Amino acid sequence: MTTAASKGLSTCHLCFKLAPADVHHCPRCDSAMHLRKNDSIQRTLALLITAGLLYIPANLYPIMYTDQLGTTEASTIVGGVILLINLGSAPVALVIFVFSVMVPSGKLLAMFYLVWTVERHSPLDPRQRSIMYRVTEFVGKWSMVDVFVVSILVALIHLSGVLVIRPGVAAICFAGVVIITMIAAESFDSRLIWDNMSDDMDDESNELQSDARPPL
Amino acid sequence: MRGDIACPGCDLLLNIGTLKHSESASCPRCGNFLTKHREDAYDRVLAFASAALAFLIIANSYSFLSFSASGLESTMTLRQTPGALWDYGLPAVSVLVAAFIIVIPAIILVLMLVLCIPLRQGRHHPWLAPVAKFTFLAQNWAMVEVFIIGVIVSLVKIAAMATVEIGESFWAYVAFTIFFTAAVASLDRYQCWERIEALGAGTQ
Repeated sequence: MTTAASKGLSTCHLCFKLAPADVHHCPRCDSAMHLRKNDSIQRTLALLITAGLLYIPANLYPIMYTDQLGTTEASTIVGGVILLINLGSAPVALVIFVFSVMVPSGKLLAMFYLVWTVERHSPLDPRQRSIMYRVTEFVGKWSMVDVFVVSILVALIHLSGVLVIRPGVAAICFAGVVIITMIAAESFDSRLIWDNMSDDMDDESNELQSDARPPL
Repeated sequence: MRGDIACPGCDLLLNIGTLKHSESASCPRCGNFLTKHREDAYDRVLAFASAALAFLIIANSYSFLSFSASGLESTMTLRQTPGALWDYGLPAVSVLVAAFIIVIPAIILVLMLVLCIPLRQGRHHPWLAPVAKFTFLAQNWAMVEVFIIGVIVSLVKIAAMATVEIGESFWAYVAFTIFFTAAVASLDRYQCWERIEALGAGTQ
């Protein structure tokens, strides 16, 4: 299997143009070109840690407040899911649970796992890890559902004195988590998963060669 | 060489040659989708994008949702969705929501029209590359289909508290989402750039 890198070619991440590795700007679309994304692992890890930290206030603080006839009720993301189950709308509770709890936390775990396996030169099935990366990349923006729900409820429900819904600070934390994990997924270079495999193969062939060398 | 492509997912070097109509290519090693060729790609993009743009304008012109409780009624337009967040002191979220559901999708649609008209006619312009570049860069950040799910979830949440009425704008936004998604899906990144390059080479 020949990779572009082994032929001394880098691919433009935006327009797929192939160019010699010493070309720094894509001849076709003028994007910055690299053999591999710059400092992919460090950047991804830094963004993941940031998102992980933001995820704490996003879950602890209320995402919205409901003022109904003089009483104020604060609800967190998980509280909203429980409320929906109590209201009897289990399917919608499931949607919110999947998009707001499972997807962001699963995405963080999956990205940490990918970074960790790449760093450790793990021999685990690269194709499966590639699929894992693509799924992570694809589901990323779907976590914004909860932020959109808050923005719709806030805009629609403002009957002062009777029923008012106000946004909470968790909304911005959660929007931050979603955006930062999206950038983290984008800064991760999935080709690194495969580079490890070909490195290992090179090592093996080198060893074979050294074994085959006649003793002096 | 013509048809050479490196898989952006795993860097495998491949030659996909020239694809026939509605043929697509995927990476044999990691399974990543590479490209799909359609003879009528630019017709499709132009049709879907102009329809989407028309529905986006309609979606911005009427009431989106309205609800009533205890004899009081309140109505919301599409623009008020981010607007209300701003009023409650969350300008950052407000700007993000406005960008993801209205501004970025609108920019993408206009850029796609500007890009695909000359590509269809086979005319080269020096601004084709930067326009294509911004179109593809912005595509990750449009969240129209996510917003639709958000609206549906909101409807169920409110239905427990009061009576909700769906406005004309909601249906227009649903139509906009369908056409927007179809337009974005019809514009193949690899084919589009090959076309731009071929047109550029023709004029030199």
